[in-house]
Amino acid sequence: MVLSPFIFLLLSFGVGYLSSTMAGSKEDRVAVVTADSRLKKQLTVDKTNTTAKYPTVTAAKKALISKKIKGYLKVENMNGKLTAAYFGVEHLSETQHDRFLQILSAQQQIMNLKKAQLSQNQLLTLRTQPQLKQTVSDNNQNAQSAVKLVSFMALLFIMYFILLTYTTTVAQEIASEKGTKIMEMIFSSMPAKNYFYGKILGTFGVIATHLAIYLIGGMSLYFVSPHFEFTKSIFNENKETVDKVVANLSNLNLLYVLLGVIIFTVLAALCGSLVVRPEDTSKAIQPVMYLVMAGFFGALILGQSADNVIVKVASFIPFLSSFFMPIRLINGNTDTFQVVISLIILLASTVGLTVYVGSLYAGLILQTDDVGLIKSFRRGLKIK
Amino acid sequence: MLEVKGLYKSFGTKEVLKGVSFEAETGKITGLVGKNGAGKTTIFHSILNFVESTGQISFSGVPITKETYQKIGYLPEERSLMPKLTVFDQVRFLANLKGLSTAVVRKRLAWWLERLQVKGKAEDKIKSLSKGNQQKVQLICTLIHKPQLIILDEPFSGLDPVNTDLLKQIILEEKKHGAVIIFSDHDMTNVEELCDDLVMVNDGQIVLNGDIQSIRESFGLTRIFVRTPRSLEELQQLAHVKKVSQTKFGSYRLVLEDEKYGTAIFDEVTKGEYVQTFDQQPPTLNEIFKMKAGVK
Repeated sequence: MVLSPFIFLLLSFGVGYLSSTMAGSKEDRVAVVTADSRLKKQLTVDKTNTTAKYPTVTAAKKALISKKIKGYLKVENMNGKLTAAYFGVEHLSETQHDRFLQILSAQQQIMNLKKAQLSQNQLLTLRTQPQLKQTVSDNNQNAQSAVKLVSFMALLFIMYFILLTYTTTVAQEIASEKGTKIMEMIFSSMPAKNYFYGKILGTFGVIATHLAIYLIGGMSLYFVSPHFEFTKSIFNENKETVDKVVANLSNLNLLYVLLGVIIFTVLAALCGSLVVRPEDTSKAIQPVMYLVMAGFFGALILGQSADNVIVKVASFIPFLSSFFMPIRLINGNTDTFQVVISLIILLASTVGLTVYVGSLYAGLILQTDDVGLIKSFRRGLKIK
Repeated sequence: MLEVKGLYKSFGTKEVLKGVSFEAETGKITGLVGKNGAGKTTIFHSILNFVESTGQISFSGVPITKETYQKIGYLPEERSLMPKLTVFDQVRFLANLKGLSTAVVRKRLAWWLERLQVKGKAEDKIKSLSKGNQQKVQLICTLIHKPQLIILDEPFSGLDPVNTDLLKQIILEEKKHGAVIIFSDHDMTNVEELCDDLVMVNDGQIVLNGDIQSIRESFGLTRIFVRTPRSLEELQQLAHVKKVSQTKFGSYRLVLEDEKYGTAIFDEVTKGEYVQTFDQQPPTLNEIFKMKAGVK
């Protein structure tokens, strides 16, 4: 389960690598035929799409007939003028066309300059190029929006999937323990509340390990991607965005995710302790699922409206604040005071709920009658 | 010594324990008996701090706290272990909670497995063991840390006669070592055979408390077992005899109105006749249990 994203990425890379390798199959290449060896070398640098294998037009023609190449480019030097002619069964791709033209232009210019026998100063004058300078402001609206959107989506989906996975796991585990006498033996060795705290801590440890594996995996990708041919360009083009997204995920938002995961885990544990049979867990866990979905879909819909009143209010409500406050944080739509208040409320609710469920835990777990969720909870209160 | 004083517990409006008080002495076995729902499990759960009750519970003069847990060995009513673990891992897990190191567990487990005739099973998975052997493992988990207070909730249920005897021997050995032992059982024969003292609970209250022999004798020697050529009808005609029943061994069991009529009955049934057996006894615990529990 933990490794599935990495397996998915490896598969994607594998497929990408294979497709890029396959893309340059022999039949798709263009043979370059020219007597100028230097020019030939320049034109066939791209081994994937070109070949220098056929030295004469006759050989190239044969290769074309036997479909070993898609065409050939014949380049001749006619008294100082380069002329190139392409023959083939398919058109040159735009990229190939531009590339050939660029190389030929550069070569033609060298030849022209040589023929003109210009002085050093004239040469330098001719080489003067116009300048096109680009100045891109940091506050570029579109780029900023993209970063915010990616950060928010990443955060939202990470939290959603962790919650979906672990709330169910915890509830099921507790439901399967409930009513077994091994729990009585354990409780005769340690207070039930300590066992409960240990269970929550253990679950949190597993989640933290899960996140740490993703973090290490993510960091590995970050450092490895620039070294692979097929990821280099994508990575370099988006490095700035990636850096900003990472920064957005590594700040207070992470704290909201962690606290959110704990409070939902505790609530899931409470729900799991209300059923006798593990197969009833899905029924018991429904309130948690509804809350998670309310947070997830609410945040998804209102993710781009950080100043919406619902987002503002929900960012202070425990359970929901983990979904909504990050929207405001990413969009810079809040101040330190509000964040501190929201965090205090979330932290106090998490601790309060944990202590409360811990105090009820023995009463809830030691019941063995299948009396329904509400009645089971009431009984737990009475037993306490 | 375990002292329970004025224990009250209610579940909502239902009062489950109504001022339960008793003592279980060191080096003695105390039987806690009562009908289903009488409050036995709630008493155990209160002693073990599973539920919060009002009243006082102390062991060796100290209230039961986290620190006391290491001195307690508890065997619950039903058997339940972690099926995927090996015997060693299961015992180690629970023994570690009791403060035992793994090295000590390994050493003591070997001894216990031999003692309980399950030698060589340490690395077997719990789920691969027979029910009887699983019960033995659970007993090991209860006793491996040498508890000073042992609580056994119906320890013999589901055991065959051989393993029942084995468990009885072990309980008696623990008694010799000076542990306070409380156990509950519905089979009064086991209680009578093993226990020094008896605490009987009915409807959340203690209805009998004391040493078993005194309790039985307090009901008077009102039972006579007699082997005589006389018929059932003849015996039923005797004065002050409330009830006569024939035992499966051919003797009769007479219930007297009062133990003082025993002499008169003896005179009557032995008049000019040889009597193989004449034994005047108090009621059995089973009878006392039924009387006190309101079972007719």
